[in-house]
Amino acid sequence: MEAQFKNPHALMLRYGLLSILAFIVVCPLAWLALASLRPQSEIFQPVSEFGWSTFFPSRLTFDNYRALWASDFPLAVKNSTFVAVTTVIFGIVVNALAGFAFAAFDFRGKNLLFLLVIASFMMPFEAIVLPLYVMIRAFGWANSYQALIVPEIANGMVIFLFRQFFASIPRDFYEAARVDGASWLYIFTRIAMPLSWPTIATSGLMLFLSQWDSFFWPVVAASNPDYAVVQVAIARNINFEQSDWGGLFASTNLAILLGTIPFLLVQRFYVRTLISGGIK
Amino acid sequence: MMSSRWTPFLFLAPALAGLLIFRLVPIGVAVGGSLTGVSLMGDLRFVGAENFEYLLTDPQFWSSLKITLFFNVIINPLQLAVAFALAMLVFRPLPGLWLYRTLLVLPMAVSTGISAVLFGLFLDGNLGPLNGFLEWIGVGAQPFHRGQDQALYTLIGIATWKGAGYWMLFLLAGLYSIPSTVYEAATIDGASAWQRFRYVTLPLMRKPMAFVLVADTAINFLFFAPVYILTSGGPGGATSLLMFEAYRSAFTFSDIGRSLAISTILLGIILVIVVLEFRLLRSPEERA
Amino acid sequence: MQIGRRQFMAGAASMAFAGSLGRAAAQSVTLSAPWMGWPENQVTPLMTAFEKESGIRISAERLPIAELFRTLEVRLQARNELPDVYLVDGPLTASYAARGHLLALDEMLAADRDRFVPTTLVQGTYDDKLYAMPLGASSQLLFYNKKLFAEAGIAEPASAPDQRLTWEDLLPIAQQLTKPEISQFGFAFENTNPYQLLPVPLSRGAEVIGPDGLTASGYVDGEGMIEAMTWYQELFQTHKVGPVGTFQTGVTQEMFGSGKLAMIIGGTWNLVGFEKFEGLEFGVAPHPYFAGGKQVTPTGSWHIGINPRTAFMDEAQAFVKWLSTRDAMNLWFDLRQYPPSLEEVWEERAGTTFVDPAWEIVRYELANTATPRPATPAYREYEDFLRTAMQDIQTGSDVSGALTQAAQNIDREMRKYR
Repeated sequence: MEAQFKNPHALMLRYGLLSILAFIVVCPLAWLALASLRPQSEIFQPVSEFGWSTFFPSRLTFDNYRALWASDFPLAVKNSTFVAVTTVIFGIVVNALAGFAFAAFDFRGKNLLFLLVIASFMMPFEAIVLPLYVMIRAFGWANSYQALIVPEIANGMVIFLFRQFFASIPRDFYEAARVDGASWLYIFTRIAMPLSWPTIATSGLMLFLSQWDSFFWPVVAASNPDYAVVQVAIARNINFEQSDWGGLFASTNLAILLGTIPFLLVQRFYVRTLISGGIK
Repeated sequence: MMSSRWTPFLFLAPALAGLLIFRLVPIGVAVGGSLTGVSLMGDLRFVGAENFEYLLTDPQFWSSLKITLFFNVIINPLQLAVAFALAMLVFRPLPGLWLYRTLLVLPMAVSTGISAVLFGLFLDGNLGPLNGFLEWIGVGAQPFHRGQDQALYTLIGIATWKGAGYWMLFLLAGLYSIPSTVYEAATIDGASAWQRFRYVTLPLMRKPMAFVLVADTAINFLFFAPVYILTSGGPGGATSLLMFEAYRSAFTFSDIGRSLAISTILLGIILVIVVLEFRLLRSPEERA
Repeated sequence: MQIGRRQFMAGAASMAFAGSLGRAAAQSVTLSAPWMGWPENQVTPLMTAFEKESGIRISAERLPIAELFRTLEVRLQARNELPDVYLVDGPLTASYAARGHLLALDEMLAADRDRFVPTTLVQGTYDDKLYAMPLGASSQLLFYNKKLFAEAGIAEPASAPDQRLTWEDLLPIAQQLTKPEISQFGFAFENTNPYQLLPVPLSRGAEVIGPDGLTASGYVDGEGMIEAMTWYQELFQTHKVGPVGTFQTGVTQEMFGSGKLAMIIGGTWNLVGFEKFEGLEFGVAPHPYFAGGKQVTPTGSWHIGINPRTAFMDEAQAFVKWLSTRDAMNLWFDLRQYPPSLEEVWEERAGTTFVDPAWEIVRYELANTATPRPATPAYREYEDFLRTAMQDIQTGSDVSGALTQAAQNIDREMRKYR
């Protein structure tokens, strides 16, 4: 069936395109990674001196990374990881349940509820941050992990994602199981979820990244030094009076490498699911 | 467990409770706030539609609205198309594919704000390597975000650099849920690669595409950090997106009512556009 | 080693001041203090020193600069007891005070006012009341690359304030030092903030804001301003001695450090900051002015203020009071070298720290030429629009058009303060 992809020209074309695109994407990051290994005094190379030295340092130094190790960056990584992983675990369950309800059931008010779900991610965060902050303070959650995690578990976009993918599983599957006397919870856990590995993996990444990249809410809700998070630790290198570009590059580089680990872990779920062969 | 009319609500309860408390109630407060004015000393007063009336007569608002719509008309289809192309390229097995996939998704671990800082330096006219390269090959340095004609497109480029790999993942998950038997049937029928894409893949990708388009639209209408960090709405107002005006109104001009009115208008615009997108991508059965 | 010295200093500071705060020591209170995101070792020692002495903990939340202002807005607009104390950027004093976010400090610091360098108290004052206490001052110097001057055979500018360069002298020097073929530029300002650029129109005698502090039209787009900004634009567009599109401190500093910029007007932070560039040898001279015009330099820096709604009023006041002591200010200077706001710190260090000609210049400027930014509750609006205009002017926009637009926008946003 994939005859034309075995054709050497098509194969070359595909490798060629992928290489060009990957190069475009990686280029700024490679520059960043290499610059993070430069001594402070030669982080930038003037435009007129473009060449080998624009990318490759004259000597390598790990000073920038050593400085990070001594700062609160390790704590920030620990905090962000904890917050992100917790959000992923609860978030997948909570949002998948809701997405399943929208896909598998017909009930009154469904369209209205769904509209509310998608509207939940259409308001600028800056507009809701004040009421949210007042609420968190009223709960007594200011400067706590709860403040960082709990508001981010239910996520309209993730519910929407699950709904879209659960909806592409034919309802016959569920009906058949119902006839056999299976409960809806059984159908959800034993039929719908196992058929949705790529979706679960993707939603997990979404939730992880929403926390790994989060920035404004952590400084508002939990700016106590004990709750430092990665993006805030990175941004501290930029300062009106003086920017520590070496520190910025090194911390950004680490944040990228660490933030990509979850993708490496779930990449194997991007395969055809069982369902693929079974239905027409 | 017996099925009852309450079953769907049991499934929905945890998520809806969270959304209600942490998103919908604050959104309600914000929309309500668009009908108020806050005095300097923090006293709240009801002003009805005053904030909206002000915006309608404000040329800055209209110019920002135009820029915002233009930005979105370009960026949303562009990101969907690029992400789809990437997904097709990394779909079928290939030795070393995992590496390409990983490289393509690397930017998603960079926060939007930091990506703006990074590109500010990467594209800098005096220290940036890209301009060094352009001079070296003889094209000459470009102003990028510092040029009135290039700034908006530079922002589009940065957002697409960051977003394409991310949205690719959703489409990839969609491609994997298309049964392979469907393709086999089409191949036996003698369909060409293009025909199979056009008549088999595309229709079956409606739901993942709807997701990407809708989610991306919402994100891009709320696109903000790079404007704030790189251009401050300039040069000459060329990148003054509505979201930036909402931000400025609240945090620089201390005019919360106006800021919330802009946010409410944004919410309304996004909802209307999203409904149109759903219609565009619904399947024939749904259309019936 | 450094830490050791700091701890020693902290210990010394607490001994010197022990007793006067004995009352507060009995409680164990933590004050929330949004702070700048300076490196931890430039923040924590100050807080530790105070805690040792008073038993009051300060939770210094080190926030990135943009987030500091955003976060403060959210917290202050919530109008509750947090934060207890916070860093106030000098020109924002009026904005916070006008909205009731700052406690007047006059009573508390009544006996201390005379200890401050008078010009440093201007920015923290609004409506004749002191709302924010200056933790230091700032000043701008002309930094120049000695090597590039020597190579071009140009005499280095004098460091004596009475022999300062005029802008008319500076231009030909900058032109000689500009070499487009190797991307070398003669001169630049560190950034495009009004803080840095307002001395240009002020030196020409222009008024940059109406006497009521709430009028921009006729001032921001007045004749003096247009002339001054035309001069500024010509530096970049006609004479091409400055790198176009450099709006950011971090970029111009790197250019100067790597020898691609021969002269830069920059803050005192560069005296330490430029040390990281290994091959760089720099000298300093006073801020230039227009021949026949006024000698004007920028000033203003970080202040500390108290949230009037704090639940720990005594403790917050104790902290601010402590920060005004000689020992605290000395420690603060060791951590971040802002020109001190206390006369006694200047005097005490006159023979040691401040023998460098740079500090002699700074002291002269603070006493004679330092001109704070306009005191208006609408400073943020003013700054925001004016900065955008200045950036557009640098990249080649029509000067009068950009300033008129800015003036209109500023006036529109200022209406609410009238």
